[in-house]
Amino acid sequence: MTTILLGPQRFTTTVTPALRSLDVDGPVAVINPGWEERESDDGELGALLDGRSRNLRLHERLVAVLAEDERFAAAALALRDRQDELRAFYGIRLRCAMDAVALVQHRSSLHGVRGAAVDAAIDAVRDVDSWYAAQLKELYRELESAAPAEESESISRHREQVADELRECSAVVLPGGHVGSLVRALRMFGVSVPAQLPVIAWSAGAMALTERVVLFHDFAPHEASSPEVYDRGLGRLPGLAVFPHAKRRLRLDDAEAMQVLARRFPDLQLVLLDGGTFLRFEDEDGGLPEGTRVVTSEGRVAQVGS
Amino acid sequence: MNAGQLAINRLRERGPVDRPTIDRFVARHGSPIIEGERATFLFRGEVDQAFVRHRVVGLPDPLEMRRFPDSDLWAATTLLPEGSRVEYQIEVRRGDHYERFNDPLNARLAHSPMGSSSVCAAVGYQVPDWVAHDPEARPGEILEESVPSAALRRDQPVKIYLPARFATTLRYPLVIVHDGEDYLNFAAMKTILDNLIHRLDVEPLVVAFVPPGDRLKEYPDHAPHARFLARELVPLLTSRLPLVDAPESRALLGSSFGGVASLSTAVRYPGFFGSLLLQSASLVFTDIGFEHGGGPYFDPVVKFVNRYRARPTRPVGRIYMTCGVYEPLITPNRSMVPVFRGAGMTVNYAEARDGHNWENWRDRLGPGLSWLFPGPQKFVYE
Repeated sequence: MTTILLGPQRFTTTVTPALRSLDVDGPVAVINPGWEERESDDGELGALLDGRSRNLRLHERLVAVLAEDERFAAAALALRDRQDELRAFYGIRLRCAMDAVALVQHRSSLHGVRGAAVDAAIDAVRDVDSWYAAQLKELYRELESAAPAEESESISRHREQVADELRECSAVVLPGGHVGSLVRALRMFGVSVPAQLPVIAWSAGAMALTERVVLFHDFAPHEASSPEVYDRGLGRLPGLAVFPHAKRRLRLDDAEAMQVLARRFPDLQLVLLDGGTFLRFEDEDGGLPEGTRVVTSEGRVAQVGS
Repeated sequence: MNAGQLAINRLRERGPVDRPTIDRFVARHGSPIIEGERATFLFRGEVDQAFVRHRVVGLPDPLEMRRFPDSDLWAATTLLPEGSRVEYQIEVRRGDHYERFNDPLNARLAHSPMGSSSVCAAVGYQVPDWVAHDPEARPGEILEESVPSAALRRDQPVKIYLPARFATTLRYPLVIVHDGEDYLNFAAMKTILDNLIHRLDVEPLVVAFVPPGDRLKEYPDHAPHARFLARELVPLLTSRLPLVDAPESRALLGSSFGGVASLSTAVRYPGFFGSLLLQSASLVFTDIGFEHGGGPYFDPVVKFVNRYRARPTRPVGRIYMTCGVYEPLITPNRSMVPVFRGAGMTVNYAEARDGHNWENWRDRLGPGLSWLFPGPQKFVYE
């Protein structure tokens, strides 16, 4: 199983050598519903893929399903509204839990209580994350119950077409974009990339390959908000959470904040993807490639192998 | 900077100066001359007196200019802290006749429903880059409607902004803007919405721009106005457009008296709107007696604000408040922040070194809208 994670491609374009390094022939599946209505505007990417790209058009298919299947559309829109509301409640709980972490971290402790208080406060944040994930899972279960995808002629047809196209391809490319739209489309069409099919991904595409998609932006124009769990990804890279544009989007020099982030996800390696990053994973249990930049449990940025 | 180093003082120290020297000086520096935290205003003309007229609280108004001996050059220097932006005019006296006009030596103007003014921008002031038209930002659409209103007993014109890529399968928050035409014409609000939504700074919004009828009657705590917004306009828009039908996704926005209208509407319909964006709201009050000094138009304002301060309520969850430090309303606005917070609302309060004017309100729209309705930046990783 070969998976290559790249840094953002806007200024440092490495997808062409990445594809050539796979040494495979044949069409390359492009999965870019994260570009939303610009999905078909993929000429530049196609050229970078040596003219071998085959766009699976998941966004176009998603729009078609919503138009073709009223029952599924109603259930999917209801799910989206409920997910938006769930995320709003999660945001309130998360903000309060993170505020508590900061408050106990900065209170003086003359008698050694602070360490336990910080541990408990971070546990509370994890509880909030778990609550959200469980609630989301329940929402998906309800959607499946209200409008089973396999009962939808439209979805079934598109799923078959997508699976057929994937079978004919020798590699898969997942670019960046809106990670919510990308994950939603992958889920709707039950996309599962066979292990033997090599994958190249960056930015939102890289996030979608992990088990847990974590949203983050420490420098948004409004008040800073904490990283938040969003959804499950394809799980091709278990044990990782990836952070594209890390230098631009994370307060990497704030060791305290980074330590909280690392302690919040103790079962995940926090991998930073910046311009020029090229990480090749050959099997899912092979550990991190040399040179991978990660956030350590102490909140520092370290490079694997150095 | 030492006052002795100012260009005008260097010119003054040269003694009597001839007309060509003054011509060169004015051509070189224009007006006002910004040097560190000093602004020097210039005027040329055969008049008996010349003044800079402004409404900056804390600076003398009028600011009298001094004539250069044996010349037609007048000048006045004042303190202008970094980041300031001031609107002003020149006033001259010839005998008993006074005349006021924009600074002929300054091409920079600000416009408002009352006309135009000259603009003096200090070191450090910049027009936010999301104010100017961005050709890459996809434009939203403005629909013109006329809403029959039983509350107001008239057909009320409303302009409705739909964001680019508007789709009926999505759900949008709603912002209702008081003095809607003025926000469009003098605060570039459509361009700003297009830009902020394009940059993912602000969630795609539906915005209703509502102009007033009799503004001075309808904006200071007027029951029919509040009923129109809460019981007629919002239900109508919610039935026609894909809006999120929840208080958290409904906001009222207004400046000056429009700020009072926003707050008083929310107070009359507590829990119906989720947030307010108040800009230089005319929240004038008295602590004892009723002598507020604002004239009869402020009587209903003061009654309303006094009543609210006596028994503060929590009509909305969040308020984004701004005020210019150079306007008389800065003290009432500062005073209301702890009152709102004490009532349990989350208040984000920002001050600017600016006055009671449309460009100040324009410049504060970005932070306010992005705080109330943050865009999907967290979702996009290109």
